[in-house]
Amino acid sequence: MTMRKPFLSRRTLLRGAGVGLGLPWLEAMVPASGFASSAVPKPPVRMAALYMPNGVNTHAWTPEASGRDFKLSPTLEPLQDLKDEVVVLSNLWNEASKGGDGHYVKEAAILTCSTIKKTPGADLGNGVSMDQLAAQRAPHATPLPSLELGVTPVAIGVDAVVGYTRVYGSHIAWSSPTTPLAREINPNSVYQRLFGAASGRTANSAKMDTLLLDRVLGDAKRLRAEVGAADRLRLDEYMSVMRGLEERVVRAGNPAASAWKARVPIDPRRAPTDRPKDHAEHVRLMLDMIAVAFQSDTTRISTFMFGNAVSNVSFRFLEGVSAGHHDVSHHQKDPDKLRQYQLINRWHIEQYAYLLRRLREMKEGEGTVLDNSMILFASALSDGNSHNMHKLPMVLGGRGGGRIDAGQHLVYSEDSPLSNLYVSMLDAFGTPVERFADSTGPLAGLLKS
Amino acid sequence: MSFFTTRQLRPLILLAACSLASAGPQGEYTFDDAQAFVGTYCKSCHNGKSAVGGFNLERVASAASLRTEAQKWIRANARVRNGEMPPKGSPAPPLDQRERFTGWAENALRAEACAAGITAGPAPIRRLNRDEYTATIRDLLDIHLDIGHALPADGAGGEGFDNAAETLFLSPLHSEKYMEVAKFAMDFAAKEFKSRAKVLVRKPGPGVSADQAAREIFENLLPRAFRRPVRAEEAAPYLTLFQAAQKQGQSFEESVFFSLRAALVSPLFLFRVEPPNRGAGDRPLDQYALASRLSYFLWGSMPDEMLFDIAAAGKLQDPKVLKELVRRMIRNDRSLGFAQRFTEQWLRTRELGTEKVPDAKLFPTYAADEELRSDIRFEPILFFREILLRDLPLWNLLTSKHTIGTGNLAKHYGVKLPVRQAATKQPQWVDLPEGSRRGGLLGMSAVLAVSSYPYRTSPVLRGAWILDSILGTPPPPPPPNVPALEEAHGAATPKTVRERLTKHRENPVCAGCHSRIDGLGFALENYDAIGRWRDEDAGKPVDASGELADGTKFEGPEQMKAMLLEKKDLFIRNLTAKMLGYAMGRGLTLKDSCTVDDIVAQLRENDYSAQTLVEAIVLSAPFRNQAAMPPQAPARAQKEQNKP
Repeated sequence: MTMRKPFLSRRTLLRGAGVGLGLPWLEAMVPASGFASSAVPKPPVRMAALYMPNGVNTHAWTPEASGRDFKLSPTLEPLQDLKDEVVVLSNLWNEASKGGDGHYVKEAAILTCSTIKKTPGADLGNGVSMDQLAAQRAPHATPLPSLELGVTPVAIGVDAVVGYTRVYGSHIAWSSPTTPLAREINPNSVYQRLFGAASGRTANSAKMDTLLLDRVLGDAKRLRAEVGAADRLRLDEYMSVMRGLEERVVRAGNPAASAWKARVPIDPRRAPTDRPKDHAEHVRLMLDMIAVAFQSDTTRISTFMFGNAVSNVSFRFLEGVSAGHHDVSHHQKDPDKLRQYQLINRWHIEQYAYLLRRLREMKEGEGTVLDNSMILFASALSDGNSHNMHKLPMVLGGRGGGRIDAGQHLVYSEDSPLSNLYVSMLDAFGTPVERFADSTGPLAGLLKS
Repeated sequence: MSFFTTRQLRPLILLAACSLASAGPQGEYTFDDAQAFVGTYCKSCHNGKSAVGGFNLERVASAASLRTEAQKWIRANARVRNGEMPPKGSPAPPLDQRERFTGWAENALRAEACAAGITAGPAPIRRLNRDEYTATIRDLLDIHLDIGHALPADGAGGEGFDNAAETLFLSPLHSEKYMEVAKFAMDFAAKEFKSRAKVLVRKPGPGVSADQAAREIFENLLPRAFRRPVRAEEAAPYLTLFQAAQKQGQSFEESVFFSLRAALVSPLFLFRVEPPNRGAGDRPLDQYALASRLSYFLWGSMPDEMLFDIAAAGKLQDPKVLKELVRRMIRNDRSLGFAQRFTEQWLRTRELGTEKVPDAKLFPTYAADEELRSDIRFEPILFFREILLRDLPLWNLLTSKHTIGTGNLAKHYGVKLPVRQAATKQPQWVDLPEGSRRGGLLGMSAVLAVSSYPYRTSPVLRGAWILDSILGTPPPPPPPNVPALEEAHGAATPKTVRERLTKHRENPVCAGCHSRIDGLGFALENYDAIGRWRDEDAGKPVDASGELADGTKFEGPEQMKAMLLEKKDLFIRNLTAKMLGYAMGRGLTLKDSCTVDDIVAQLRENDYSAQTLVEAIVLSAPFRNQAAMPPQAPARAQKEQNKP
């Protein structure tokens, strides 16, 4: 038995119905040129990280030559028309992710640059991820602080061989060292959520929710006084998310007091399917959700996982691929497996390029949403066969509101800290930090001075 | 008091696992042998004031340290077992020495812990997981919808289940979904006759004010929602909320359902909380908390009226009552949920359809037939449940004369199952014909598919799956930087999987584990990647012969299962540990392994009866008792005191 989905009231449906704006994944899309954005002088900067599990075929990844006159590699070739809008970053590594095991310690740390605690669950521990740091440093900027997306549910169980809970391999966004953020995998429900968040609330419904949330926070406070220290942490987590929601409800119920306004409205009639027909369509729809979220400015921060760590999703839907992702990544130098590995990598880059193009098609003021974005493509391994965490495959797309010096292949000295990239991105995002994890400074040459 | 989360101790059967693989004529391992091991491989770094990582092994030099420094031992042991210590570049012990050391340490630690008596272990507050949340709302309001499907899926911790307290964290996404789903549930309940009757037990009218009626409604429903008696000061705010809703212009009913919506978002509903034990030692668990432990263990939902009544009468700690209850609860339809959640996660078959999807081009019949997929998925679940219902010996899970049959499965397996012709779609308990080769979990498609690649079988995956899920002795992780096969063996790379693995085992680094893994997997090679029988693979006859490092040889699944049956105590121990971890909703501790030993002994005396397992878990100290609240960390307590 399934539940009928929408939590849309007739009122909100009617409100949205007057707006005939197309949505980006529909070919009939009307470019949003000039609409809404003209009122706002400087468009906000957005930031997303797209994570690919299992590393890359290193023979086909790195571009030839450095600087501006670089030549895209076979894997990066789908970025040809976007070459001036991306920066390929070579020789970064994440030192905190050495040791441990081949996957979880690397993949869970891709945005935290911290060493996770080895545990089947009892003392989960990571760092705060850079996207969440940005969200925490720019609170209340948008209806949703951030958007965590994926296409596969959290991996079940504990990996008994290496002794880590698979929770690690299923989450890259961490709001605290002990709190991974749950992801949404249903495009329809993400869309409803974006629409709901962007639509605001009537003062009355906001008032009712506030009453309700005050009540449950009261229960939590009473309970907190009765339990032991460890349990108190759980209740603190509860109170923190409920208070966060309450703040958002209050703001949504009082649009006059908020500086936020949807840059492009979201059309409730254009909600995507909740049952994508295959992996490829599913990925596209989730990337579309990032585009909708960024275009409307419902959030400015997003993370997306193409798969969980050790994902063995079958890529036989690709011509010439006969195996699953993780299987192929352990190519053992077999030429045929290497070839398939590269095809899978390249497919991921095609999806990345798709999102960049979508954002580029969205006009915003004088430029495009892509101009005002930083979209990171990242894997936590270079060669998956040896679980190598040196020379991580990293591409940054978009101009970050003009701060990113795009159109380059930047080659750093070997084992330069990945965290330096995050220092630069946080700067361009408008939430600068002195240090992030093991950073030693910003990444040279990435930002325009 | 400190609790050791000792999942790393799971392989305390490692020695036994070795004997399965490589029994050798070695003398008894002693404390002195262990000290010699530490002296040779660890002490050059972990010594004196400047011990690396602040980890000084001086303090574990006496036998008493197994008790006084157990935590240190556990950590050292886990790192040695996982091959993380000694680190790369330092002289490393060969695998057999490593395992003799860890096997000894685990047994010694456990013996020390058990000698001090079985205690309750931690019981952290635990959020209802998605399934429990759905079932609880179903039973609370009598609404039959998959109400929790909008919530994010939960990860797993502890013994590998998604009811483990430690990994049930909360995200902002949860807060939104809880609000939405609570509204949806209450809006739905407000329209359903049966739900309305459950909720609206009083209506305002002559002589009954709105406040009075609301109070009675809350007094009826809140204790059920919070699964325990509710104090006046806890219920009063809900009446205040009701009044506030009325002030906002809502009707009586709207205000009632609105206030109850809050109850569904309250931590008192969303979390399972047990009244803390502020005493010095273990005590019998509170009656209502025990009712919840029972109902979430065996039903995955809230206690029913009968459980509440027994708790209210204070009779729930009576062993006779518990024994009778366990049997009644197993017979209840709701135990199907337990069978499903436990079996699917223990065997990892829940991954079928998400992380593991058999390739549609290679297996079109499987991909096209939703009924077959469903039958395959439910076969191990229903098989497990029948064994429980019929109270059969648990080794039936390894090999059995019965199975769950449907017309689809009979066709899929090519076996003449005596399925009732009138109801071929109805899964049913049937006798297996002679020579069916389908007895036990290892003959079932779900298991065989989840331990394969989506497009082909893998003796390594299947062998490792048996070691992990069946025997509870997962292989250690592969050592870092194993040379690729080609590098190790030159250009003449063998082509078949068997040839490649044979080569692989020639490398002593690989042989240690693969000599344990591969043979078990090869014995199942007659089953293809979705579990169909095959005599040929790619035009060649299937070679289903397997051999373990100790020379044990077998051919095909029946001989391999007979070999496993010889080791059934290993299997029973693993199953017991898994089920205890599920029942407790947390990772097991060193103390818990004493409980596991105790239960295994009871099972041995009772012909491994399935209901004995459940009963023994329910009657065990960790399940029925509650540990004292751990003393607060001084630093933290200090900090709190300093707060204004």
